[in-house]
Amino acid sequence: MLKELLKAVRDGDYVSKSALAEQFARPVPFIEAGLAELVRMDYLQESENLQLCDLPCGKCPYTGFCSQTPFKTITVTEKGERLLRTLSYKETRP
Amino acid sequence: MYTIALVGNPNSGKTTLFNALTGSNQHVGNWPGVTVERKEGKFRFKDQFYKVVDLPGTYSLGAFSEDEIIARDFILKGDPDLVINVVDATNIERNLYLTTQLLEMGVKVIVALNMMDEAEQRKISFDLANLSVKLGAPIVPVVASRRKGIEQLLETAVSSIEKQLDYKVFISYGRELDGKIARIEKVLAQKEVGYPSHWLAIKLLEGDEYVLDLVSESDLSPRELELLSFSRQNGAYELELVDKRYEFINQITGSTVFRPQKPVQIKTDKIDKIVTHKYLGLPIFGLIMLGMFQLTFVLGEDLLGDSVADAIGIFGEYAEALLLNLNAPAWLGSFVANGVIGGVGAVVEFVPLIVILYMLMGVLEDSGYMARAAYVMDNVMRSLGLQGKTFIPMIVGFGCNVPGIMATRTLESKKDRMIAILINPFMSCGAKLPIYLVFIAAFFPNNGGLVLFLVYSLGILIALLMGKIFGETLFPGEVSHFIMELPPYRKPTLRNVVRNMWDNVSGFLTRAGTTIFAVVSSLWVLAVLPGGVQPYGPESFLGRIGLLIAPIFRPAGFGNWQAAVGLFSGIAAKEAVVATLGMVYAGVEEGAELVAAIKAAFTPLTAASFMIMTLLYTPCAATIATIRKETRSNVWALFTALYTFLIGWVMAVLVYQVGSFLGFA
Ligand SMILES: Nc1nc2c(ncn2[C@@H]2O[C@H](COP(=O)(O)OP(=O)(O)OP(=O)(O)O)[C@@H](O)[C@H]2O)c(=O)[nH]1
Ligand SMILES: [Mg+2]
Repeated sequence: MLKELLKAVRDGDYVSKSALAEQFARPVPFIEAGLAELVRMDYLQESENLQLCDLPCGKCPYTGFCSQTPFKTITVTEKGERLLRTLSYKETRP
Repeated sequence: MYTIALVGNPNSGKTTLFNALTGSNQHVGNWPGVTVERKEGKFRFKDQFYKVVDLPGTYSLGAFSEDEIIARDFILKGDPDLVINVVDATNIERNLYLTTQLLEMGVKVIVALNMMDEAEQRKISFDLANLSVKLGAPIVPVVASRRKGIEQLLETAVSSIEKQLDYKVFISYGRELDGKIARIEKVLAQKEVGYPSHWLAIKLLEGDEYVLDLVSESDLSPRELELLSFSRQNGAYELELVDKRYEFINQITGSTVFRPQKPVQIKTDKIDKIVTHKYLGLPIFGLIMLGMFQLTFVLGEDLLGDSVADAIGIFGEYAEALLLNLNAPAWLGSFVANGVIGGVGAVVEFVPLIVILYMLMGVLEDSGYMARAAYVMDNVMRSLGLQGKTFIPMIVGFGCNVPGIMATRTLESKKDRMIAILINPFMSCGAKLPIYLVFIAAFFPNNGGLVLFLVYSLGILIALLMGKIFGETLFPGEVSHFIMELPPYRKPTLRNVVRNMWDNVSGFLTRAGTTIFAVVSSLWVLAVLPGGVQPYGPESFLGRIGLLIAPIFRPAGFGNWQAAVGLFSGIAAKEAVVATLGMVYAGVEEGAELVAAIKAAFTPLTAASFMIMTLLYTPCAATIATIRKETRSNVWALFTALYTFLIGWVMAVLVYQVGSFLGFA
């Protein structure tokens, strides 16, 4: 399932855990666990935006009015891409 | 004395259980990674003493991290008589991954299914008898934090320690891998490696360095080494093995763990289908922003210009009168009334409205919509050949460009990063808001929301356009790819919103008090010197500076020296623009209100071109300094300062000239 998950992440426009859960017919925590495992094994890389709201901001009084939304982005790593390439190679072989 | 090890995922409640068992008081925290080394304790049960060891939390027993190694080492070398695997019942699928590894290591395991109270609250239920059989280990439900189920856990622990190990469940890794495992196992079984050979075989296939070294040290014949050699294709089977373990967990939990199908998730998906729609997404984003700006004015209408401004005006007169009564020198009275109260007051006047706008933005952020907005913009940007992730620093830039530019650090490619830095100043930062608000109050009081929306949209549009131009000229190259995670929607909590608002307002007032005061004070000196000339007049130093720059802006329609001085001070700090205007206008005509003065000095058309100039022209000094620091280049900093000025000027002139031509002047 992890391979399929990796593929779904690469092919999808965005990652919605609940949409993936529906796609794979598994509960959301299961998808979360799978993604976490892919990150741990370095097939995916997760990054959150830096928490910048505490920066002095040149003493600007508007520092506090700062975006608090944590954006999480996921990229398929080099290792992940390599795996996906071998997979698609296997698939296209007669 | 028997030894019991507590093993589990981070934050699963191991230390809480440890404390419940031993009566000690180790540090417990609601975040992972609290326990970083092992802690030992003792307890007595039925006249027997037991040693318990609390291990750091880990998700797996590979050799990926320090924690994993500490836990694994203890299980392998510390020779515990029993492992209590603490499992977070609310996240059982993920936690069981570790359980399967423990079982494969051939140690005695019982599962303490913790956080049952939370699971109950979330309406997750279990068929524990069935799950226990399928997993091949006893399972005891507990609530460690309330010491519930501890007695039962201990009973099970004690009886397990005395019983023979009877783990019979084997995970099948598929024909090919099972065969390989069996072959390696056979070789290793004859060696004295000291660990269960089934586990070693699996680890070898995973490409586990530690196990590889361990096995290489034992005397293997060349033929045996040959047999093991395929495992040297470092990690070739790793994913396959992990995958099968998950498959196994899925199989056993499928019929034994019951979760309510969360209606929230279904709703989230339905909403997402619409708000992230290929064609509808962008208009919806626009409508939401427009709605937010409109709502700001609906809620804050009465506050705009009127009551707060009156109060400040009265306060100013009162302060000046008081100072005169106290025989203070006249210049001090003028400084306080015109400089401080006219200047700083002009900004403070708009604080309520700004607070409302940012509160609404906070609600949008809290709800999870902003992530969708970024996704929608990502699509737009990708279609322009830009890195979509750039929109994240842009959103940050709406607050302040300095952190916006710093946020570009998350962009991996140099090209994406440079473009993101260069276009960030077009994101209208919070400090520019009071400027727009003054002009809206003067000329567009009934269409405030729409005007703000247009200003912000123009900023985004110019940013995208410049991004595209830079992408094709200065930094050609590949656009890198990323995917964004859309979190579920949440109901914004009033507490969060109010707390953020309070933080923002108090922070704003203290900082505004200092920066604006400093800028205004120095400009005040320029406005009243040299002695003998009319203070705040065109003859003062400030007036002369203004007159020097003003001609540049004549084609844009606002060639008066006050406007020029305002823009000039904005290069130091954008929040000083309104304060400066407030001071120069308040000084000319005693007690004149800024909005009224603006009405006299501008027309709706010149107001529009001035607002556009403010939106686009050279960012504040702090932003330029940040650009210099982040690009490590004076050239790029200077370039940004100049090209933004040029774009602002061209757009302002364009608006004024076209507007005049069409008869709006
Ligand atoms: N609701 C509930 N909360 C619990 C329970 N057991 C522990 N907690 C809470 O869960 C959090 C984590 O507990 P810890 O005991 O620090 O977890 P840990 O496994 O030692 O965490 P690390 O040392 O970081 O690996 C704390 O806030 C505990 O109060 C439980 O049965 N029910
Ligand atoms: Mg702990």
